[in-house]
Amino acid sequence: MKNSNKVSAFLLIIFISALSFLTFFRHETNESLTEFPEITLENLLDDSYSKQLSSFFVDNFAGRDKWVSVSAKIKSWLSESIVNDVYISKNRLLSVDTVSMESTENSANIINEFVRNYDGTLYFVAVPTSSGVYSDMLPSYLFSTTEKQQIDTLYEQLDTSIRKIDAYNILKMLSDNYIYYRSDSKWTSYGAFCVYRTVIQKLGFMPVSYDKYTIEHITDDYKGNLYVRTQYMESKPDLLDICTYSDSSEIISCTGYDNSGMTYKKNLYERDAVDSDDMYRLYLGEKLPFIRINTSVSNNKKLLVIGDDYTSCFVPFLTQHYSEIAVVFPECMEKNLEKFINPDDYEQTLFLFGIDSLNDDIFNYMR
Amino acid sequence: MIYSSLLFIYAFFPISLAVYFFTPKKFKDISLFFFSVLFCGFFSLKFMLFMLIYTTVNYISASITYKLKWKESKYRHFKSIPFSIGILFDVTAVFIFRTDLFSSTYDLFNLPDGFFPIGISFYTLSAMGYLIDVYKGRIRAEVNFIRFGLFIMMFPRLIMCSVVSYDKFIGIWKKRKIRMSELGAGFEIFIRGLAKKVIISDNLFMMCSAIKSLDVRQISAMTAWLGITSYILCLYFTISGISDMGNGIACCFGFRFPQSFNYPLFSSRIRHFCAKWHIQIMQWFRKYIVSQFQSVVNEKYINGFTHISVMTMLGFWYGFNLCSALWGFLMGFAVVAESRLKDVKMLKSTGIIYTFLATTFLSVFLSCGTVSESLDYLWAMIGGNKVFADSLTLYLVKSYILVLLIAVYFSTDLFVNTISRIRKTRFRIIISVFSPVIEIVIFAVCTALISYNGNSDIILLKL
Repeated sequence: MKNSNKVSAFLLIIFISALSFLTFFRHETNESLTEFPEITLENLLDDSYSKQLSSFFVDNFAGRDKWVSVSAKIKSWLSESIVNDVYISKNRLLSVDTVSMESTENSANIINEFVRNYDGTLYFVAVPTSSGVYSDMLPSYLFSTTEKQQIDTLYEQLDTSIRKIDAYNILKMLSDNYIYYRSDSKWTSYGAFCVYRTVIQKLGFMPVSYDKYTIEHITDDYKGNLYVRTQYMESKPDLLDICTYSDSSEIISCTGYDNSGMTYKKNLYERDAVDSDDMYRLYLGEKLPFIRINTSVSNNKKLLVIGDDYTSCFVPFLTQHYSEIAVVFPECMEKNLEKFINPDDYEQTLFLFGIDSLNDDIFNYMR
Repeated sequence: MIYSSLLFIYAFFPISLAVYFFTPKKFKDISLFFFSVLFCGFFSLKFMLFMLIYTTVNYISASITYKLKWKESKYRHFKSIPFSIGILFDVTAVFIFRTDLFSSTYDLFNLPDGFFPIGISFYTLSAMGYLIDVYKGRIRAEVNFIRFGLFIMMFPRLIMCSVVSYDKFIGIWKKRKIRMSELGAGFEIFIRGLAKKVIISDNLFMMCSAIKSLDVRQISAMTAWLGITSYILCLYFTISGISDMGNGIACCFGFRFPQSFNYPLFSSRIRHFCAKWHIQIMQWFRKYIVSQFQSVVNEKYINGFTHISVMTMLGFWYGFNLCSALWGFLMGFAVVAESRLKDVKMLKSTGIIYTFLATTFLSVFLSCGTVSESLDYLWAMIGGNKVFADSLTLYLVKSYILVLLIAVYFSTDLFVNTISRIRKTRFRIIISVFSPVIEIVIFAVCTALISYNGNSDIILLKL
């Protein structure tokens, strides 16, 4: 008894100290990891230091990805397959984070305020996440508020002068197709195209049909945000596609602006991103608050697009129709919209958001 | 930073243990006290300050009470003044933080809304017991502030510790020693608690919160039963898990505190259930409060009175609302009712079943916040919604069957008994060889399960 206690004490001390040693003194340099927080008087006083230290420790924990992947396995044996708020179904991962309703109202108010001061026409598309479209794969008790209801409520909260476009039913009807990534909550390029067909008609153009596009599979190893949360090995990685239209208009310039006013040359597709950690950067590259795209289309029409990650793979389809497109990502903004552009220069504005990102304070700089 | 977090297990705990180990004997207490203060600081700076003030107030009021009581001074009649100030301070602190009656004090002290001094219900009992003992002259007031500080806020005891009286604490303190075998025993208790919390209670929590989110007027009877069963199991595994973790850490530092639970679920009598449930807290209520009133109660009813009042107080202490007090009252009442049924043969064979049914049925009052909600839930349990089982029930059973079975098995003493029986035979060598391996495996599983969030901080009841 006593001896076995000694043995287990010895083994555990080695186990614990090995892991903590590896955590603190890892020499891999991975830029995306949290840095060791520095002690300052400020972060000691507002209690943020312990949180920083804790998140440093968790992010850098030795073999974290492997641990998480093991935990997904164990969880799916022990209980229902919900790991870190992600439901693992047979062929896809679905997020089961609940979005609070109040904050949608907050966003709606800000958009209503925006439209009151705006001269052109405003179009709004709220895109469901994969768990909204595939909600019938989730256990029934999680149905309490569906994303459908949530989008309906949001549309009711929005001003009547805003033209709302129903993306939910389009996507729901096509749900047998590859319109959502299996390992991510976002839509695929094809999903974006399906909604584009309807949206562009509302904006007053004829859509380009899908067979005119050449589809190029850039990678078949995309692991989305839900995969990162579960590290569930058995989920299949996804394809990232690029759609090019051979007789398309050309992109004359594509310029990104950051918060300090610096300009960057950008492409619609950033092919190098596939080799990096964040493959989704393939669409429109590194996140910037504002991107201006000029095309060879000579109709002098201008469109302002305000959106989030869902927008990045949607914008390329629009370039066939407008001579100038301004894309704004409120989540990256650190100063007001007027500092970047004057919305009234654009006769049409398209708000295109995933319903899950409308819960944050992303419109703080839109007031 | 709760015990079941990566930062605690892989950084704070080993570092504090190593420092404590290499500190010369004279300064060991100081180093443990230092780490306890640091531990509080990891929650927030305000919590650390609160704990230091709390400890100091209790220390001072006990010392003054003691001086007034024993020094042959003309002021001895005033000894109840510092005593009542101390008690009042403790009680107010509990009421401020456990109920929302005094939410204005939050603004007064500029506290953030979520501020909750974790474990306050526990160390308040310790502190009050100490004050009462000093006042009654059972013990001398502690002179050494560090030692008293350890009694109140020593970090292995801070969250849901076992509440022991001060003289017992000193006994444990005197016997403390650091040895490799103690360390191993401590790890074993710690891992047991960690597994209870992370493997069992967290998964059960998912189940009972899933059922909680449903509309009570529509759930099927089976689902309702599953919900309340998972709640009571979850409650047991959460509290006993956290207190085991605390006891395990304390044991690594050489302090041996008594266990809080002695496998209460699936007892063969309701009486046994109550006797094994949260032992030290019940003892505390019996010793310091109920015994004061026993003299006024008729001899004949004294047992019933004690049971009912202790359980009621425990219930109130759990939830700080009437509904949970009602739970305690009904539990106490059930014990009394049971003792009136004199040895009916039926009871012997069906003991486990009726105890389980009764305790589960009554714990509805503990889990729901209000009486009307509890009644709705009970109505659903007896099939009032006219559905016996539905597809959701099937889904839940299918998903959670494994963790439920594990939980039921480990909430009984079957496993422990088997182990100790094998230890007496010549096969004990097998256990000695395998137990370290199994411990490491379970420890690794727990690490994996908390690796994404870095902690598992659901505590079900804010105690």
